[in-house]
Order: sequence, then structure tokens, then C-alpha cells
Amino acid sequence: MKRTGLSLALLWGAAPLAGQGVVIAPHAVFMDARTRSGAVLLYNPNTEPVEVAISFFFGYPATDSAGIIVVRTVEHPDSTSPSAASWIQAFPRRLTVPPLERQTIRLLASPPPGLADGEYWARLVISAKGGQLPVTGVADTAKVRVGLTLEVRTIIGVFYRKGAVYTGISLSGLRTAVVGDSLAVWARLTQQGNAAYIGSAHAALVDSTGKTLAEMKAPIGVYYTMEPRYALPIGALAPGRYRLRLDLSTAREDLAPELVLPSPPVRDSVEVRVP
Amino acid sequence: MRGLRYALLLSATAVVPLAGQRPLTVTGIQSLTFGTLIPGIPSVVSRTDAVKSGRFDVGGPHDTQGRLTFTLPSVLTGPAGATLPLTFSGSDAGFSQSQNIGSQIGFDPKQPFLMTFSGQGRGSVFLGATARPAPTQRAGSYTGTITLNLTAFP
Repeated sequence: MKRTGLSLALLWGAAPLAGQGVVIAPHAVFMDARTRSGAVLLYNPNTEPVEVAISFFFGYPATDSAGIIVVRTVEHPDSTSPSAASWIQAFPRRLTVPPLERQTIRLLASPPPGLADGEYWARLVISAKGGQLPVTGVADTAKVRVGLTLEVRTIIGVFYRKGAVYTGISLSGLRTAVVGDSLAVWARLTQQGNAAYIGSAHAALVDSTGKTLAEMKAPIGVYYTMEPRYALPIGALAPGRYRLRLDLSTAREDLAPELVLPSPPVRDSVEVRVP
Repeated sequence: MRGLRYALLLSATAVVPLAGQRPLTVTGIQSLTFGTLIPGIPSVVSRTDAVKSGRFDVGGPHDTQGRLTFTLPSVLTGPAGATLPLTFSGSDAGFSQSQNIGSQIGFDPKQPFLMTFSGQGRGSVFLGATARPAPTQRAGSYTGTITLNLTAFP
């Protein structure tokens, strides 16, 4: 079977790769003013070396006019922005990770003197590029042949915390609309305190008896104000009155509990009428 | 071999500072392939073509989200600076939580796409395109780079 697959690939001139990219851990880096340092581990699970380049920029999740989560990039953040992009450095910034080996990237913060208490953000870009792909096709110089190289860039959040940091969230403008076989849900979320609100959103549609008919759970990160749009699959719901409940909490399965800033849960609900 | 890789992966992540967070990975698995082109005749590769479509595998904390964007070449560069147009339609990219090429959600590779990792923390991204050699296209090898960007949240 394997031999057949290989033969087919050769026949069609396909370009299967040994794999280009690295495993990155953790997927978010939290640093504090005590150590001013952090680390990111890269592991190359492939059989070819991977060239890696490291860089930073300032950006944060926000929503566009349709409620889709985007990353808002600020090329030249002003002095009031909580940007750490200009004063966190990575060592090394360029490296080659050999096959089946790991390398550690050290992060060092050099914040400006007099930095106020709070949380400061940057985005770390890890660009990984494998070996150059051979151009596939027959070896005839009279032909037009094409070869495309794949490159991957992984962007993770870096958080620098100084002094007393706290977070919270306010929830307003909860509204819904039936769109096809889904219930669209919008809410205005505004971060409180001096740190990003990292948590989870849980939306549930319940009937008059309290029975849950549809629900969804999604991680959220609120850095300023955002108005995300969620969709609950409801299928063919019988006409009537229902209630949509939205709960926000700082529970996150993907982050170690000591890294998550706790905040009391916030809830709201709204009536949903299905004609 | 797979067992060995998994063991190495586990040992790699075990030494990560701030243990408890899960690793993230984006891997180019298969390049978009056109093979030999005939001048004047466009060559279309569908994202559902298991042999010719480009494929990236992604991994991360289960049920979390990430934003995918592509950096795509509009032309490929060939001999003596010659170029060959490469176009991407509004549904030339696809995401599959189950990593099944037959079960994709199509999206425009020129627009950001918000993906959710599966319960197992996996997903695959597929890419198709159309190469448009001119009737007078200069013979030779043409190359370009396709970049997939994955932004992890928080």
C-alpha cells in the first residue's frame, strides 16, 4: 500500500514533504517583573532541518464589523499603548533546528524605567522554513515547470506583568437573531482593570423548563472592547419563546491555573422569540 | 518510528517552563503541485485533490481557536526574471477539523479564517490554485513561496 502511494505520487509529480514546521510550547508566554524572562521551546519532529526566525510586533485580538475575531496590529504604538514589543528581546533570533532536536528561545524583558503596574503585550512570530523543494516534473528544459515552497509562521501572545495586575469584564448589548438553522448571538465585551481578560464564553439556549436546546463554548481574550458574534446550531426550532444565556468566566483548560487572572463570572440573558 | 517521535515530543514539551500549557504546531505536509505546464493552458489544482493540493497540518490545545492567514504569491518567478501568474479563487482554501480532505469548510485564502482545533487538538488546511502560463511563456523552472500564518489566541 505504501509502495502504491509512493508510485502514485511520483507518477503525478506530487511534492510530499518530510514536514516543514516546528512544535512550539507554550502557546502563550507569561513573564513577570521579578524574573523578566521567559522561554519558548522549539522541537523539530521532521527529518529535515528547519530554519527559524524570531520577531515581535504589537497586536491584540479584536472584532471586525461582522463580529469576526481579527488581530489588530499597531505598527507604531504610542506611549499609552501597553506594548512590550519594543523592549522584549529573543535569543537567538535566527537558528536552525536539526531533525528530531529541540532548541530553547530565551526571552528577556528590558522595560523602560518607571513602568506603571499592569500587563503589557507583544506578539511573538516564529517563522519556520524547511529545505528548498525541488521543482517537480520532467527534466526537460523546453517545458514549463513549477515548484512551490511552503513556509509557516506561528504567532503567539507574550504577556509581561508588573506589580498588581487585575482584570474583569463588562457585558452589555446582548442580542440574538435566527439565521437559517443557527442562532446568531452578539454581545459587547469590555475589558476592565489593567490586564487582558482571558477566559471562556458559554452560551446556552434554554426552553421554558430550563432544558438546554443548544450551546457553545469558546475561549475569549478581551484586550479592549470587542463585539464577537457566536453561532449556536439550533436546527428546526419550534415556534415559541426561549432564553439565551451567556456566561463569561476566567476558566481556561489550555492555560495553567496560576497563569490565569481570576475574576468573578459575568452573566446575562435575553429572550429569544422564534416565529 | 511514530512511537519514538511521540516519546521525543513528550520529552521535549516536558521541559518547557510554565508546564501545563500545550504545544502548538503548524507543519507543511504537501506542497501545491502543478508539475509540467502547457503554455497558454491554465492548470487548475482543486483543494480536494489529494495528490496535488497543498496541505498544512495544525495542532494546538483542543477546542481553542486560531486565526489562519495566507501570504500568497501572485506570480511565480522563473528564468531571466520571467513570471508566471498564479491565482487563488474565493474558495481555494479549506479547513478540516477531522483532517479529512473530503470534509472541508471552504474559505477564501486571501481572507483571514478563524479555525477551531478539534477535540483532539488537530486540524488540516488544504489549498488549491490556478497557474496561468501565457502562450508565449518562457520555458524553465518557476518558483514561489506560500506562507501559512497561524495566530494563536489568547
